[in-house]
Amino acid sequence: MLATARTFSLLGIEVREVEVEVDVCNYGLKTFSLVGLPDTAVRESRERVRAALENSGFDYPQHRITANLAPADLPKAGPSFDLAIAAGLLGASKQLKPEQLAGVMLAGELALDGSIRPVPGALAMAEAARSLEARAIAVPVANAAEAALVQGVRVVPLERLEQLKQLGTDEEPAPPEAFELSLNGAAPTGSDLADLRGQPYLRDALEIAAAGGHSLLIIGPPGAGKSLAARRLPSILPPLTRSDAMEVLRVASACGFLSRGHLAVRRPFRAPHHTISTAGLVGGGSPPRPGEVTLAHRGVLFLDELGEFTREALEALRQPLEEGRVAITRARGAVELPCRFMLVAASNPCPCGRGEESGECECRPASARRYRAKLSGALADRIDISVAVDRPTAKEMGAGRGVDSASVRARVVAARERQELRLGAGRCNADMDLAELRSAAQLSREARRTLARGHAQLGLSGRGYDRVLRVSRTIADLAEAERVEAEHVARAISLRRRGNE
Amino acid sequence: MSAVRDQPVWRITRGEAGYPAALLDLGDDAPNALHGCGSQRLVHELDRESTVTIVGSRHPSAYGLEVAEELGHLLGAAGLVVVSGMALGIDAAVHRGVLAGNGATVAVLGGGPDFIYPRSERQLYERVVAKGAVVSEVPPGTAPGPGCFPKRNRIMAALATMTIVVEAAEPSGSLITTRWAYKLGRDVGAVPGRVTSRVARGTNGLLADGAAVVRDAQDVLDLLLGVGVTDTRREGPPLEPELTRVADAVDGGAATPDGVAGAAGVEASEAAVALARLELMGYVRVDGAGRYERTALSAPGE
Repeated sequence: MLATARTFSLLGIEVREVEVEVDVCNYGLKTFSLVGLPDTAVRESRERVRAALENSGFDYPQHRITANLAPADLPKAGPSFDLAIAAGLLGASKQLKPEQLAGVMLAGELALDGSIRPVPGALAMAEAARSLEARAIAVPVANAAEAALVQGVRVVPLERLEQLKQLGTDEEPAPPEAFELSLNGAAPTGSDLADLRGQPYLRDALEIAAAGGHSLLIIGPPGAGKSLAARRLPSILPPLTRSDAMEVLRVASACGFLSRGHLAVRRPFRAPHHTISTAGLVGGGSPPRPGEVTLAHRGVLFLDELGEFTREALEALRQPLEEGRVAITRARGAVELPCRFMLVAASNPCPCGRGEESGECECRPASARRYRAKLSGALADRIDISVAVDRPTAKEMGAGRGVDSASVRARVVAARERQELRLGAGRCNADMDLAELRSAAQLSREARRTLARGHAQLGLSGRGYDRVLRVSRTIADLAEAERVEAEHVARAISLRRRGNE
Repeated sequence: MSAVRDQPVWRITRGEAGYPAALLDLGDDAPNALHGCGSQRLVHELDRESTVTIVGSRHPSAYGLEVAEELGHLLGAAGLVVVSGMALGIDAAVHRGVLAGNGATVAVLGGGPDFIYPRSERQLYERVVAKGAVVSEVPPGTAPGPGCFPKRNRIMAALATMTIVVEAAEPSGSLITTRWAYKLGRDVGAVPGRVTSRVARGTNGLLADGAAVVRDAQDVLDLLLGVGVTDTRREGPPLEPELTRVADAVDGGAATPDGVAGAAGVEASEAAVALARLELMGYVRVDGAGRYERTALSAPGE
């Protein structure tokens, strides 16, 4: 007797439909073979399925069982196939009616006692179920909230394996309440910029970076508030739009971050340690898993101690930064992952952190020079703004709280609106191409002269020149100015990235 | 690439014509021979009275590097032969300055005259050989070993009428050079540094012990040639009061725009604009870590 159950395989943050065909043969030895490129976790599914069936009051067929995961050439990984395998087995052994399984997608990991554990990627699975026009998708209770974000497909939350009997009957568990994302006017979440004492220039730099989507490098000794400032950047970025929020949730779902039931919609902030591998940073593995750049999608990727990251890892960041997506190519096809994030990097001025000017620096000259060379070479053509900071003085520490995130964010939102009017929805100054930059710049005569002097006097390279132009456009947008004035250019010059001496 | 450069090496032995007379002041410690690359004539014609030695830390601050380069540039341009040791940091900056001003410079090495050390200064080495001279007391092809450099320092001290230290920690090789200079009755000068700075401890110590204060090339020329012989100060364009305040704040040690804003009492955005303008005029400069410093350029009437 043959039965089929349908489920999904997670690839990156997308899913592919997988059919589980189960055949129970009425003769032969008692065996259970699983074919169709299962990995170890999938192969071990046989043991979980057997125990869960027996502990849920079902009969485990005492005959030869064959389960095939189709398409057979797609590698399958992870335990999310358990539920579909169990359902197929129940269908093949006539414990479930074929019509009960018709049009239902199933995903879930089984515990030995028959309860159902959450799986990653339920949101993408629900979306895929909708586009396949499935009647319903059965998911673990813990994944029900994220799946219910998708309108137009019935979500059946399952807690235990025996609830499969209720599928297609009047007792079928009711879909969870549809969850509405509250986005518009959402207050900034997380830590507030008001915690940053003093350091007005650093605040300005954060505001300009947020307003234009510019990547930012903060250089200063330990204790200068570099990470403190970076962590507060998401709170001054504009609120997420609904479609952006869904992208963020899709990534979080694929990584299993949502299964604990809370669906906080906020811009992600990721701060990987500098020992991270290249695959961990940009994604990789087989099957491909999202890296930190994808986890930071629509949010902030913070690289503390930029100079300590391996050269390979930093090199691998180039394509994601430029294209906003990573392609991971494997022998069996490519997976594309989104990664539009704002890069914030921080660094000590030298390996010991004290800074050569402090007079207390104990670094060897050669190592200090190597460090600086690496720092100025690292992503040199991808970082628009660089700012040097010092530890705040005692007076600044004692002063009251600074301006809070909400008021800064209002200015950032206004500046972004000006950019969208010029460039189109969802775009900002950081992703202008050269032609757009030239036409958007609108330099006043004085500004043009300042730029020309910068070119001659400071030896700005062509790229450096364009970056100054780009950042001055953002400063003008923040000042609600139509034209870029000399003052805006001068501020952009003071924020420029310095080359290696 | 090999550190040993394939090129002609000349040799002058003690007692031969052309052996720098100043070295004989070392008595028994005078080197038996000098091996050299580059201009032999420059070494033959070395005159102690118009030669200065400038040395300093291998790990200088940006301030030290600037002063060293400026001193080398202006003293070389004023016609003095500038001797240094081609070490990383101050020494290399001195040679660079002299070459930039088309002056004459002699590098005294610890290893053989054709042994490029430090390797990273190969380019500078080639330029010094092309425009000046490189000398050493050890034969060609010798790699510098421990003990070479302190010995080399006595030659630098003996060649010049004055030894100037730009930045030195304590203890340091530069201080060994000054001890030789004192022993030989030569003048010693030092560039003052911040008292909190590790690399200024040696130089400030020399000043406390009575070394001549070297604030700029003019101070050196005054000492060597008499007061007011040439004016080496460079002036920039006139400054508005606000820019002067910001420039003074940088002078006072404020290195970041935030620090400058605090010290000059202006908004951070104004400080950023002012710093950019000062940088365009050449009054301040920025290092690779984005920190500001005053240059030697002085404002009119300052």
